[in-house]
Amino acid sequence: MMVNADIFVRDVPGQLVGSLEPISLVDGNIVGVVHNRENIVNGRIAVNLTFEVGSAENLEKLKNIWKSRDVMISRISSVIETFPMEYLLIGDIGASQIERLIENAGKVVGLESVDVRFSSKISSKERTAMISAKVRSEDDLEKLNAFMMTACKRAKIVYIRGVGQ
Amino acid sequence: MRIIMAGFGTVGQGFAEVLHKKTDRLNRFNESVKIVAAFDSKSFVADENGLDPLELVERKKSTGSVGSEKLKSGIDVLDSVDYDVLVEVSPTNIKDGGAGLKHVEHALKNGKDVVTVNKGPLALKFSELNKLAEKKNALLRFEGSVGGAMPIINLCSENLKGERVKSIRGIFNGTCNFILSRMDKGLPFEQALKEAQQLGYAESDPSYDIDGIDTACKVVILANSIFRRNVTFSDVSITGITSVSAEAIALAAEHDMVIRLIGEVSDTVLEVSPRLIPLGHPLSVSGTLNIAQIRTDLAGPITVSGKGAGRIETASAILSDLIAIMDRRR
Repeated sequence: MMVNADIFVRDVPGQLVGSLEPISLVDGNIVGVVHNRENIVNGRIAVNLTFEVGSAENLEKLKNIWKSRDVMISRISSVIETFPMEYLLIGDIGASQIERLIENAGKVVGLESVDVRFSSKISSKERTAMISAKVRSEDDLEKLNAFMMTACKRAKIVYIRGVGQ
Repeated sequence: MRIIMAGFGTVGQGFAEVLHKKTDRLNRFNESVKIVAAFDSKSFVADENGLDPLELVERKKSTGSVGSEKLKSGIDVLDSVDYDVLVEVSPTNIKDGGAGLKHVEHALKNGKDVVTVNKGPLALKFSELNKLAEKKNALLRFEGSVGGAMPIINLCSENLKGERVKSIRGIFNGTCNFILSRMDKGLPFEQALKEAQQLGYAESDPSYDIDGIDTACKVVILANSIFRRNVTFSDVSITGITSVSAEAIALAAEHDMVIRLIGEVSDTVLEVSPRLIPLGHPLSVSGTLNIAQIRTDLAGPITVSGKGAGRIETASAILSDLIAIMDRRR
């Protein structure tokens, strides 16, 4: 998971490195560091970090190490990695049909988010729809692809899917 | 190195010209490379001392035939002339492999090396032909059958030997890509197709391209040669581009995407279908270009692109296969 955190470290040499090292100790990957020397509170400098860690468990370990090293955590937010996919459905597609399709897809995989757009050509009999969905894993993505393929085939809808990440 | 050319259409003529042009390069092997026989669907010509490649091209252009003798069967020519390599460039027949399959089989059975760009035999009988080549200690090379001048088969099987290729997906048909690119600009499908036909990119019967058959043949060749699968044309899940509407293109564009006909192959996937490609993605190329994304375990993704068709471009792939054979046989 990707994590963004605001921490405060003591304004003495070696403290910044001392706060970054534990990320490697929990097998994390540092993506970005912003060392804000203008924001000093009680002799501590604000640092904004963006990093990847493998699991929530590793994040907890990291938080404990920071506490033991006198690193103050001001804010921490994790962003769960998602896998996006788009489906373009060509044919005479109605809103209720799409709703049913998404409802059934939700029974197969956990959908993080779903967005549906229709073509603006309302008068046309062939109304095209674009479904943008996000799931939590590559496995779920494969399941969703398989579901969409079968469901569209059964409903005789031509569908075009994306290529993923 | 004595060559028999089976087929003398656009690609065959291109290869003859390239052979003439690259004489100096081929001479580094201290062995002369000569065409000892050539035949097309109607005629043949043979001379064990070698034929002038440019004269063959000239005769084909002026008379419509490569030779002056009437052809009974290509097999007869293969049996009547001593040769080392068969360059098989006759038209693709995806129903039963046609004469091309017979020529390739016959040459391999006789222990002759084969270079081909004919997709029919490879898409229908790859496994059998490969086994036959191994049994007879003959070499079967077919770089130009996928992507024309774009290196992909030899790239994967020779340059990426240490890699596990996880998947390949790409645009393998320039005609479809041209049509879809023109649709991006607002042309309806029928008009874009007509334009492709006028420019010579599409045949008068375009079904081979637009129904995804050509791409499917290439996907089968990649699956068998790179993924060591044992599949044939009928195993491919194929959707062509005829159902791609202007409305679908417009809706994709609203989301900063284009639609492209993608062939995809891996250990489990064998598919040809139109796909949504984000703008800026390597596979979002326009025009007649071919492109392939190779996903590997160590090197990560590798993208190659090049001209997927054209007489000289395809001939360049045949030449590289021929030189590889000369290297092996030295």
